[in-house]
Amino acid sequence: MKRSAALLLLTALLLASGGVPAAAQDGAARIFPYEVHAEKLDNGLQVILVPMSSGGLVAYWSIVRTGARDEYEPGRTGFAHFFEHMMFRGTEAYPADVYNDLTTKIGADTNAFTSDDMTGYHLSIAAEDLETVMTIESDRFQNLAYPKDMFQTEAGAVYGEYRKNRMNPFFTVSEAVRKEAFEKHTYGHTAMGYEEDIKEMPNLFDYSQTFFSRYYRPENVVLLITGDIDAASTMEMVRRFYGEWKAGYEPPKVTPEPPQTAEKRIEVPYPGRSLPIVWISYKGDAFSPQDRGYVAASLFCDLAFGQTSEIHKKLVIDEQVVEFIQANQNTNRDPGLIDIITRIKDPAKVDYVISEIDRVLAEARESAPEAARLQELKSRLKYGFLMGLDTPSNVAQRLARWLAVAGTHEVVDQLYATADMVTPEDILAAARKYFAADQRTVAVLKGAS
Amino acid sequence: MFPSKNPNVRALWWVGAVAAALAVYGCPAPPEGGAEDASQAILLPVPDDPTVSFTVWFQVGSQNDPAGKEGLASLTGALLSDGATENNSYEDILKKLYPLASGYGVRVDKEMTTVIGRTHRDNLDAYFGLLADAYLRPAFNEDDFNRLKSDQLNYLEKTLRYSSDEDLGKEALSEAIFEGTPYRHPIEGTVAGLQAITVDDVKQFYAAHYTRENATVALGGGYSDELLQQFEGTLGELPSGSPTAAPDFEPAAIEGRHAVLVAKENADASISFGFPVSVRRGERDFYALWIANSWLGEHRNSSSHLYKVIREVRGMNYGDYSYIEAFPQGGRRQMPPAGVARNHQIFQVWIRTLPNAQAHFALRAAMRELVDLVDNGMTEEEFDLTRSFLSKYYLHFAETTQARLGYAVDDGFYGVDGGGHLARFGEMMASITREEVNAAIKKYLQYDNMKIAIITGEAESMAAALESDTPSPMTYGSPKSDEVLEEDKVIESYPLGIASVRTVSVEEIFGK
Repeated sequence: MKRSAALLLLTALLLASGGVPAAAQDGAARIFPYEVHAEKLDNGLQVILVPMSSGGLVAYWSIVRTGARDEYEPGRTGFAHFFEHMMFRGTEAYPADVYNDLTTKIGADTNAFTSDDMTGYHLSIAAEDLETVMTIESDRFQNLAYPKDMFQTEAGAVYGEYRKNRMNPFFTVSEAVRKEAFEKHTYGHTAMGYEEDIKEMPNLFDYSQTFFSRYYRPENVVLLITGDIDAASTMEMVRRFYGEWKAGYEPPKVTPEPPQTAEKRIEVPYPGRSLPIVWISYKGDAFSPQDRGYVAASLFCDLAFGQTSEIHKKLVIDEQVVEFIQANQNTNRDPGLIDIITRIKDPAKVDYVISEIDRVLAEARESAPEAARLQELKSRLKYGFLMGLDTPSNVAQRLARWLAVAGTHEVVDQLYATADMVTPEDILAAARKYFAADQRTVAVLKGAS
Repeated sequence: MFPSKNPNVRALWWVGAVAAALAVYGCPAPPEGGAEDASQAILLPVPDDPTVSFTVWFQVGSQNDPAGKEGLASLTGALLSDGATENNSYEDILKKLYPLASGYGVRVDKEMTTVIGRTHRDNLDAYFGLLADAYLRPAFNEDDFNRLKSDQLNYLEKTLRYSSDEDLGKEALSEAIFEGTPYRHPIEGTVAGLQAITVDDVKQFYAAHYTRENATVALGGGYSDELLQQFEGTLGELPSGSPTAAPDFEPAAIEGRHAVLVAKENADASISFGFPVSVRRGERDFYALWIANSWLGEHRNSSSHLYKVIREVRGMNYGDYSYIEAFPQGGRRQMPPAGVARNHQIFQVWIRTLPNAQAHFALRAAMRELVDLVDNGMTEEEFDLTRSFLSKYYLHFAETTQARLGYAVDDGFYGVDGGGHLARFGEMMASITREEVNAAIKKYLQYDNMKIAIITGEAESMAAALESDTPSPMTYGSPKSDEVLEEDKVIESYPLGIASVRTVSVEEIFGK
């Protein structure tokens, strides 16, 4: 669900200070506890290997740095996601049923997903099957070839996914917020795409070839492998299987979003029953792990709206006016959104809750948080991060988003180092910079009755 | 940290842990304890795991809800996980857990309740007392009670009824199959049942069921002997009482195929169908049937035969799967969950949301595949591929210590000795034969007697079509092969012979 995903992004973004990090490379302390072997092939493919003890499991991730952001042509929203589906439809060497039988035979846990800035393809496998998987993965990324009727059929499954999603009010309101918040930038639509574009998909077979040729190129991909691997021999295997992949990436022509100059407000209809959802999005910055202001904004979100915040105590626990409240800054390649989300138990209290959020923000622009609270948050981020690095899949999942947005693994330790330096004054500055009313879009979803 | 939208899995989960996960470090021994003595601690030491996982299993669930107070077990669990204790207000608990990035939660299922927690070894001292207080000294404050009761009511009235037709369809099926039994109602209860519950009811329920005779501790990860002793010692602080009796019942025998339609304005169709099945983890037949079921409808996997027929070839929906044991929240999980062990299981088919105009066809297609499996069994090729798949796929069921600990607790429930279900799964995949699989299919699966649940915005026309077995031709937005079109002609008039169709409004379902 959107809410959990948003929270995961917050936590995935933030790192913490303290503790005893692994040996430093350039004098700065590291938080990431595993060795990273990184190489860039001549064709531009980035390869990140993270050997870790894992009882014989390996996570194999192909991260394409293309998502909703890249869908800049009219009528093409949702295409990166649709294409993610098509990647399972086969090549000449491994037609779809052969590929599927192979991944079935080796008992792989495999899936894929699309978001604003990436399309991720991942398999969790037994270590002994690494070469088999590299064979078929490198093949489909270079040689995808599906027939037209398969293409058209798959559009039906995508529409099925949309049907399933749209009954969720959080999906509905998040879709509406971005459409309103972004006038030009492609973040204005979700990775799912607009319904009218999804309907049109069966007719876009030729465009799908263009899409593949433009974006599924080595310069635009990060290959991430974690788990029970030997770095040297795995890297050699990667060079062998991916070395011939031809460069040729064409970046999307994304229109930058012009500065927002006034607050926007929308009401979002929803055909079923739902408690009112208030979703407020502020204009944030692109992922900048070395920018204290950017990182401070992320930390601010949890201090001001997290589980130990004053507004949480007041609205969730004491007055019981909302089911939950949360905030986070999204991890995006281009300037994205900072979201504050809450679901209100009494429809008559919507305006009150919004005024409470305004009050918290006004106070935050006046005074810095207590240093002790900031320290607690830093501890939380550290332990949350460390506790989540327990399996190859979990490690890969955490790294993937940063790799997609930044293209390099160094951001992990940079983020940690920057978070460590954030002061209460930085938090105050971030509150002032990012949370002016003319930078926001306020969406209220109310159910049908 | 994220009050779950499903109150069933209320938690103060730690940051970043979407799936509570722990490492597999080195080669840890299989869990000890379990089947022989229900009160003996279940242990899963993993010395180089920097975290410790805790589970306390109470033998109580929603099947123990008193009549007229459906939802009591769930609400009691919620007060343990998201309420104050005698030592700390809820707000103080959140404050103290915050820097530890740790939390705890309570999962209430039909027959079992598990208190689950995990923390980094650096934080054990700060954490353990809070966890122990949660199940030993809950405060049952009126304020917390009101908050959590209203959340649970909102879940039933708004979320379950309106935001997830796939979950709703499965609950409607469960209600239809278990009508008149303690399994009938959703774990979260019914609207009337919840409304009737008072904080005194919760206190009484806790006193009756959270007793030392009813409890088992499970500990995993990098824990010390001292911690183990401390943890085991907490059971001595629980009141003494008699073990909770599991209600003795069987679901009513089903004769014929019977449909219930949940009428919901504007809804697409979400379909589930099934019938009771009596296999149990640990038994050889269970694994034989698992192979058959995996071939027919492996959860969210393109190897699922139903998925191939309905989604892959025909592009009708997002997926189609089948199950021989409970798999709640399937839309949000990949691997089978622990903590939902039950004595009564259903074989069920899940057809994901699709347009109403295609629902009848999809139901026929799925039914036809079930019939084919029951009548003809699995071929050598199908068996070999599925067995090969499962031989390694099961390694992903529980990659972390916490997940494995959950399965170890389930072993205690089911009485699976030795290395437990996970170890047995691997052994069984290596030894079960196709003959055994086909025998299990014949013994446990059938297709004449079942319930069908469909969420739909077109209940009236759908009921009429189902009652009359009206042909349901399928049309596509894109060309299909002659082979498919020929098969469609058979599917579209495949007789379902549904004996009865009743309709219930979404506004009334789970009302009481």
